[in-house]
Amino acid sequence: MAFGDYPKEYNPAVHGPYDPARYYGKPDTPFGQLKLNEIGSWFGRRSKTPSAFMGACSRVWWRWQHKYVQPKKVGIAPFFQLLVGSMTFFYAINYGKMKHHRNYKYH
Amino acid sequence: MFSRLALRSVAARQSTPTALVARGSATEVSGLRDEKNFPRPVRGEPGKVRLGFIPEEWFQFFHAKTGVTGPYTFGVGLATYLFSKEIYVMEHEYYTGLSIFVMIYYASTKFGPKLAEFLDKEVDNVETNWNAGRLSTIKSLEDSIAGEKEAQWRAQGQELLIEAKKENVLLQLEAAYRERALTAYQEVKRRLDFQLEKTLLERRIAQKNMVDWIVANVTKAITPDQEKQAMDRCIADLAALAKN
Repeated sequence: MAFGDYPKEYNPAVHGPYDPARYYGKPDTPFGQLKLNEIGSWFGRRSKTPSAFMGACSRVWWRWQHKYVQPKKVGIAPFFQLLVGSMTFFYAINYGKMKHHRNYKYH
Repeated sequence: MFSRLALRSVAARQSTPTALVARGSATEVSGLRDEKNFPRPVRGEPGKVRLGFIPEEWFQFFHAKTGVTGPYTFGVGLATYLFSKEIYVMEHEYYTGLSIFVMIYYASTKFGPKLAEFLDKEVDNVETNWNAGRLSTIKSLEDSIAGEKEAQWRAQGQELLIEAKKENVLLQLEAAYRERALTAYQEVKRRLDFQLEKTLLERRIAQKNMVDWIVANVTKAITPDQEKQAMDRCIADLAALAKN
């Protein structure tokens, strides 16, 4: 599987038009429906290759796109989400510098 | 130019493995289009959010356990914790952020609805423009179908008309036939009448001639002797009558 290819499991004859937000592999129990003791084995079953991670990120991105950005009449919500997300991200990466601005020594 | 080349090479690279994959997995799965589990994606409504950006689902996740105020309590509690432990440090940028937040809040409440209305109208315009060609094509095709149907209906009428015309011609032929038959009958009758009259005339003339001839001959054959005898006889008869 090279860059820019469809996932291996995707078969146009069966799955129809490609939905980038969709996982075409064998479906597992959704994470939200797991019991706590199943989480370990659930992560054990996940593929942890870089391409699988990239694929998961891509699906998350497209799910967000389809839900908030691509509909016909969107509000300002996706922009605010981007704003808040980027604020959080940049706060996190700059946290080491921010720490020095603390006002109290003891908490 | 180069970008197109690059695209082409990507497409060429992609097509073979994809085709292989398609063939490979077609043997595993039935190979038929699975409409039930993989329906064609539809463009939905945007997801619901609260407070401008937080997905509604997150609130629903809390709702089952903690009720309506739970997520807000959690949010405020988390913020308090972050502020209190100075995990979120309120340095100078924090106050900048507050003022920016106030500005954004004011702008989005003041101009948001109007802008949304305007943009929705633009979206509708764009959609209408995109659909216009398709709709007009559909309409023209429907019109031409209707025209074709009407033309067929008219053609049926034309058939009726031709049928009527044929019947009319047949009637005319019948009339001509009858007229000619009548003429023939009249002509034959005229000739037969002529023959009849001729025969009658000939017979009358012949009779007349015969009568004339007979009378003439008879007159010629009467001798003065006979005449005298007849006269005597007549006189005798008269005398006999007179005697009575």
